[in-house]
Amino acid sequence: MEAKLASLYPEITLFITTCAVMVLGLSPQAALRRLCPGLAIMGLVFAGVLALTTTPGAETPLPMLPMYAKTLVAGVGVLLALLLAGSADRVYEAMIDRGAKFDALRSNTGEFWSFFLFSMTGLMLCAGADDLIWLFLALELVSLPTYVMVAVSTGRNRSKEAAVKYFFLGALGAAVFLYGFVLIYGAAGSTDLATIATVFAQQQAEGGLGPIAIGGIMLSLLGLCFKIAAVPMHFYTPDVYQGASAPVAAMLAFVPKTAGFIAILLILACVRWPDGALPEPIHALVWVLAVLTMTVGNVLALLQRSAKRLLAYSSIAHSGYMLVGVLAGPGLAQAAGADASIATSGFAAVLFYLFVYGISTVGAFAVLACLERTSPDGEPEEADDLDDLRGLWKTHPSMAAVMALSAFGLLGLPPLLGFVGKLPLFTSAISAEEIPLVIILGLNSAIAAFYYLRLVALTLLENPEKLPTRPELKMAPMSGRRTAALLSATGVIVFAFIGGPQIAGFAERGATYIPKRVHTGEAAAPVDTPADAEPVAVRDE
Amino acid sequence: MTSGLDMLTPLADLIGSGALAAPPAGEKAAGAVHGDIGAWVMAIPFLPLLGSLLCVLCAIFKVKSKLPAWITVAGLAGAFVAAFVMFQQTTGADGGSQWAVAKAFDWINFQWGSEGQALVANFSFYVDSLTCLWMLFVTGLATLIALYASEYMSHDKGPGYCRFFFAFNLFVFSMACLVMGDNLLLLFLGWEGVGLCSYLLIGYFYKKESAVAAAKKAFIMNRIGDLGLSLGVMLTFVHFGTLEYAQLFHDPEMFPKYLALAQAGDFASIPWQVELIPILLAVGAFGKSAQFPLYVWLPDAMEGPTPVSALIHAATMVTAGVYLVARFLPVFAANQAALGLVILIGAFTALLSATIAMRQYDIKRIMAYSTVSQLGYMFVGVAVLAPSGGAFHVFTHAFFKATLFLCCGAVMHGFAGQLDLRKLSGVMSMKGWLIVSLAMLVGCLNLAGVPFTAGYFSKDMILAESFVNGHAIAGWVLLITAGLTAYYTFRVFFRVFVGPTHAEPGEDLHPHEGESMEEAKANFHAHAPGWAINLVLGILLVGSILVAFLYPMHWADDMIATSTAGGIGAGDHTGTVLGMDPHKVMYYVSAVFGVTGILIAAFLHGPKGLWSLGIGNRSEAETSRADALVPKVGPVAHLAERKWLVDELYHATIAMPLRVIAHISHALDRLLVDGLVNLFGWLPRLFGRTIRPAQNGLLHSYAIRMVGGVGVVVLLVVLVTLL
Repeated sequence: MEAKLASLYPEITLFITTCAVMVLGLSPQAALRRLCPGLAIMGLVFAGVLALTTTPGAETPLPMLPMYAKTLVAGVGVLLALLLAGSADRVYEAMIDRGAKFDALRSNTGEFWSFFLFSMTGLMLCAGADDLIWLFLALELVSLPTYVMVAVSTGRNRSKEAAVKYFFLGALGAAVFLYGFVLIYGAAGSTDLATIATVFAQQQAEGGLGPIAIGGIMLSLLGLCFKIAAVPMHFYTPDVYQGASAPVAAMLAFVPKTAGFIAILLILACVRWPDGALPEPIHALVWVLAVLTMTVGNVLALLQRSAKRLLAYSSIAHSGYMLVGVLAGPGLAQAAGADASIATSGFAAVLFYLFVYGISTVGAFAVLACLERTSPDGEPEEADDLDDLRGLWKTHPSMAAVMALSAFGLLGLPPLLGFVGKLPLFTSAISAEEIPLVIILGLNSAIAAFYYLRLVALTLLENPEKLPTRPELKMAPMSGRRTAALLSATGVIVFAFIGGPQIAGFAERGATYIPKRVHTGEAAAPVDTPADAEPVAVRDE
Repeated sequence: MTSGLDMLTPLADLIGSGALAAPPAGEKAAGAVHGDIGAWVMAIPFLPLLGSLLCVLCAIFKVKSKLPAWITVAGLAGAFVAAFVMFQQTTGADGGSQWAVAKAFDWINFQWGSEGQALVANFSFYVDSLTCLWMLFVTGLATLIALYASEYMSHDKGPGYCRFFFAFNLFVFSMACLVMGDNLLLLFLGWEGVGLCSYLLIGYFYKKESAVAAAKKAFIMNRIGDLGLSLGVMLTFVHFGTLEYAQLFHDPEMFPKYLALAQAGDFASIPWQVELIPILLAVGAFGKSAQFPLYVWLPDAMEGPTPVSALIHAATMVTAGVYLVARFLPVFAANQAALGLVILIGAFTALLSATIAMRQYDIKRIMAYSTVSQLGYMFVGVAVLAPSGGAFHVFTHAFFKATLFLCCGAVMHGFAGQLDLRKLSGVMSMKGWLIVSLAMLVGCLNLAGVPFTAGYFSKDMILAESFVNGHAIAGWVLLITAGLTAYYTFRVFFRVFVGPTHAEPGEDLHPHEGESMEEAKANFHAHAPGWAINLVLGILLVGSILVAFLYPMHWADDMIATSTAGGIGAGDHTGTVLGMDPHKVMYYVSAVFGVTGILIAAFLHGPKGLWSLGIGNRSEAETSRADALVPKVGPVAHLAERKWLVDELYHATIAMPLRVIAHISHALDRLLVDGLVNLFGWLPRLFGRTIRPAQNGLLHSYAIRMVGGVGVVVLLVVLVTLL
């Protein structure tokens, strides 16, 4: 119990910060209200440091995952917090500045920031989950606050429409994976992930998983497709991203997706990977999902005129790429007891790619967040149409550079961070002998190059268009957004050379996979195998 | 230091100690002593790299002084000192270590598959005596030539000066990667790097059309060779599964195995892939080292500034091909046909370009053809399995050819770009030109192979070994070439440096204000070289003489014996020359050929007086006895002057058909390929348009599609699983 508590220090820190922020946001003094983002960032930094020092729980098949995932979440969370700073209550705060009286009932600041932190707490809890119920609750804790955040992110009806869509479809998705969890419980007789892994290993050794277990895993994965925005649960993505303000959209592109992938890894790690591949039906499912997701995401991105929708489809496509890594699994070497290597372990590749994708996509959204024009209703309107980005180099060179770097990063152009992240996805899939899938991945990257490069060409090479109907774009007054944009662009370059390899190494440790051993013979000894013991060479061959 | 691909490090570093881990380099090596070498050897490549970066800074800060030159000289001198220490340690009194690897950083490391397949190419340096031999003259000459260039390029101070020294430094860095790299990929990086620098420096005068054309020609010609090299590298990797020398040369299952088979005469057991590797590598070597049929770029490369011609196109870069063959001699030895090909090409190129050199008037071009010819010697040397002869000739040639080029450069610099040997005469008797002329004389004596010069010894090693190892025809061809070489070399010396004083300025003459071109020509005074040029030429003069003393010390033999090329030569001494031991008789035979060539040159081109031993009678710059001889020889002389029409032949047989094909391809490209590409570009869009209506923004429609999607996917998976 105490050990469990110790592993929750980051979440506890975040929770305390959440409470503080909630109160602080209701303060009548504007100066105090403005402290919210700073406090949130401090909380995230503390949580990140604590996450680094937490001892791993050795029970689950992925014992090191919480440490990596929580640190990652804290790191990208700081970037998101910078980006979100100043978004909530923008119009209302301006009114107060002009002399309006502060009304705690009308203010959203406290809620907004506490919801943000709740979501991040949920994400960390997700990473530390060792139980299906825990996992479900954590996943919902990630998503529920985001529904509200989408609704209040701008004052427009578009946001409210997006929030409603997101909420109802999210509930549908949650229902699907909850049904899957129930079936898994039915098949394994336990909600504890370690026990499920042991039972599944036993079942697989004795002739394979039963239909209930297979069905449960399949439904869980399909439900989680909503979180990661994968086909067939992807429909909401562009509408919601477009309806939300750019900072919130950036958060949606990273936070639920990370939660979804962590949950997928946790569930698939419970299944033994005989000969390095999943049992056939699940393998087929992930294969189909990966191919459909990246293809649908990329071809629809080709047609977009709206930058946010384009990035939304790009986010769908990236889920497809990462599903390739999921399919590659922990790698044969790990299944045989060796340490994870990012070159062969798809799990490590996915974990590292989450970081790479987070940095790059936040940069792209941050550019959209930084550029805005005043609209007749007084509420600033963010850049969204691709024409807004035309010739950005001439008007806002730094933002153009950030956009170009983020696009290059998402495209995976060497020698930037995107390439460093994408390469392991390829090599791990090659190691898993998924050659057709690798070819499809390559083709999709080529299709993606078209719209990413168009983004680059638009910003860097073309001349800005001056239309009387379209007022000029100005830089948003929030310095946090600019900082986030510049930081992520710097990260895309710098981490490719310095620090990136270390983070990849960290992801390798995070992907340490300890499969449950099958105990032959009648003596059903408790599952208590030290990590460094020789693997038992029992296989269903 | 870090590179773009450094980030691949973790892929390797963090590999566990399990069955996956590749065996550390050299662990399996047997037979060779694997020593340690300090990290300081990295100064050799990285000091020039630092220099090139500083030159970029100089360009950014608009430095107008000679600072870039001094940075370069200092960096290269440091590299030379490091190279010398490396040489001392590798061949030290205690026998030294036979080879060592110094690792700078991880560079490329791809791993895949379950059997530990890996493509590992570290930024590491393989140090053995062959490396040392090459790096000694590369860094030494680069230092001297940089000093020379500080004066030679001084009229370009400013951005051009920075650009020149930037490329100069980058060249030395690339050359160091090429020679010192411990794997074929780093060699390839260096190979392409020197090619790039060569391109940049040939095209240094980028406003001059001929310079740009020459730069392009060099680049394109080299691409053909590079194709061969890259295929060779790939085949090596496919067959051996590694590119690292530590394994290739020292793993008993790799090169040593095939070398042993070849030495036992069991060629049938050698797979065709291994036999193909040397042929592909040879194609690369022929391109870089300007051998037939890929030699035509080198004479045109003389459009670059003369220090570049001296360093890159005479002394160092063009010997990269010889290095490649010498380094990979174990695998060349496994294919008799590849060796035969190298000998054939080398000997033929030597003869062909010597005949062209005899009829040229531009002294720099004569030296360029001479370089092509001498490179042919070196190839024959390594390919008749006498790598010590080949390598020693590379070494001596680097000195005396650099000397010759720098002398030509001094003349060009002093006489406003004049290079025509008919328009210059008696330079030695002009004031301030003594050191240049003496250096030229020493260089010429070396090139002509006059007894007891370094060139004489190194050439004899090659000649004798070709007879010893049963390649008598190649030996005779090279002997005749030696005679021709002596002739064309001293033709230059007798015409330009001695005899009646005469000088016409070249085309770089710029009239002063208020002066017509004619007046400028009439008032023209050659400006004698300054201290830097004289100092460098003085050092090289002495150096070219001293190098000869390495021969009686058997220095080159010892160097090669401890390298990867050691112990490969055929053991049986069966060949003879005129029925005698080639080694002894060659001293006399080649001396006779050399001296005869000089005497003919003296008779045809020598001035009256002592310089031509009284047999010459030339009294003016423009004409000589040879002019009367030309009509008698008939079309041969004319054809040699037109370079045997090889350029025209290439134009007609390769360039023109290619151009026609290019036009046809262009038409096809527009119709077919673009159409296809557009189709492929259009298909995803079509697909996108087809599924786009699903994104109709309606909540209930989304919900139905999601549930439907789940159903369809589950059904699909069930079907797939059941089928």
